[in-house]
Amino acid sequence: MVILGVTGSIMEFEPELDRSLHPQLSYIRPEGRVLSLSEIGDAVSRRFSGEPVVAYLPSLSPNLSSQVVLPSGVAYVNQYTGVVLGMRTRGQTFLGYMRALHVRLVGGQFGRNVLRWSGVAMLLSLASGLYLWWPIKQIRIRGKWASRRLWFDLHNAIGIFSLLPLVMLAATGTVLGFEDQLAPLIYKLTRSSPIQTFRDNSRAPVREPIAGAKSLTPDEAVAIARAQMPGAVPYRVQMPKYGGLYVVALVYPQDRVAGEDNLVALDPYYGDVVSLSRSSELSLGDRLLAMNEAIHTGNVFGMPSRIVVWLASIMVFVQACSGLIMWLYRKKILFAAGESASQESVS
Amino acid sequence: MKRTIAVVLLLAMNAMAGDFTGKWSGSFKADGADHDVPQLLLLKQDGNKLTGSGGPNQSEQYPIENGKVEGERVRFEITTGEWKFTYDLKAMDARMAGDLELKSINDRRTAKVSLSKAK
Repeated sequence: MVILGVTGSIMEFEPELDRSLHPQLSYIRPEGRVLSLSEIGDAVSRRFSGEPVVAYLPSLSPNLSSQVVLPSGVAYVNQYTGVVLGMRTRGQTFLGYMRALHVRLVGGQFGRNVLRWSGVAMLLSLASGLYLWWPIKQIRIRGKWASRRLWFDLHNAIGIFSLLPLVMLAATGTVLGFEDQLAPLIYKLTRSSPIQTFRDNSRAPVREPIAGAKSLTPDEAVAIARAQMPGAVPYRVQMPKYGGLYVVALVYPQDRVAGEDNLVALDPYYGDVVSLSRSSELSLGDRLLAMNEAIHTGNVFGMPSRIVVWLASIMVFVQACSGLIMWLYRKKILFAAGESASQESVS
Repeated sequence: MKRTIAVVLLLAMNAMAGDFTGKWSGSFKADGADHDVPQLLLLKQDGNKLTGSGGPNQSEQYPIENGKVEGERVRFEITTGEWKFTYDLKAMDARMAGDLELKSINDRRTAKVSLSKAK
């Protein structure tokens, strides 16, 4: 539970932390017009000896750089000037390690199972905590510094004030951990089924190109995709060499629950829409599962809910520590004074 | 004489390795994952060089990069987007099995792969 709390609090601001660890790659000053994807791709290919572009990750904010995925890594580019800011190669980073700890305890199936059941244990712990708190209803902190009373009051006060967000974190985390088992039940209860996602579709074969036909540019592919989903913003463009089709992923920024679940796959020569999935067409079951994840990550109401989730994650750690300290006090008193433990009643 | 023996041995090893050209299907499971991920590789061997494509199915294929055959050992890479897949496989008759390393910009995972050649 301590690991879940600590890693969860770090992951809550993972994008911001990642950018602060690589400020020279991430932040730019907006100036002039935004270059086309083709221009950005040319600049990157020139810099990296003609390496092919695997995918474009256009910037979603004027002061953040765009990214171009290459086989050898990810290049960061100023989309106003075409200046390549640098390259990151693939591999384990501190933040990736935190994510791996949070999701699977770094290890395999065993670690994943431990974490799944930790969510259940956390729910039971919260229920037992509420049961113990209810008769005393202690919300004030009265004890002296480093006294057993202080830790007891702290545990009670923090516990009751953070109960609701902690229950939500634990419950949504448990659903995520057991999603494979729970999803069929959710679809059954909502009488819905999973939307046919892009990868599940047996896609129509790409038409044979006319001899000498030129492939669409990524900018043309984006224009076709945007016409399919007015108001959505492209955040990823996969090149046809890598997958056979142009695949454009778009986001509706105002939809924080499933706004990123929009995909348009295009024939690279004719521009035909081969596959389309819209977040607005998600089934009720899909939306419930997406909502569960958005609550767990704090994305559901944007920055305010992310701060609540971050604080709640820290509280998991604080509660575990204060609970442990109380237990240690109790042990010490039992060993030292035996029955005299009751003299410093904390109930 | 020694040189001749070495050349003969090398040729024999290549002959033992067989031809990897063809369609290979199977799956991998990343450590800590719930799902088996289907794999379909369309390989083309030219000497000790391996080209072709791979992906989850026939309609989603990514080019094979840095493909090499060394005896019964087969190594190649596939970039699917943010993830790079590095295969290190060992061939046994019409089967290949081994390790897969998956690397993204901040994560690294491992998986076991098992493939068999389609007849």
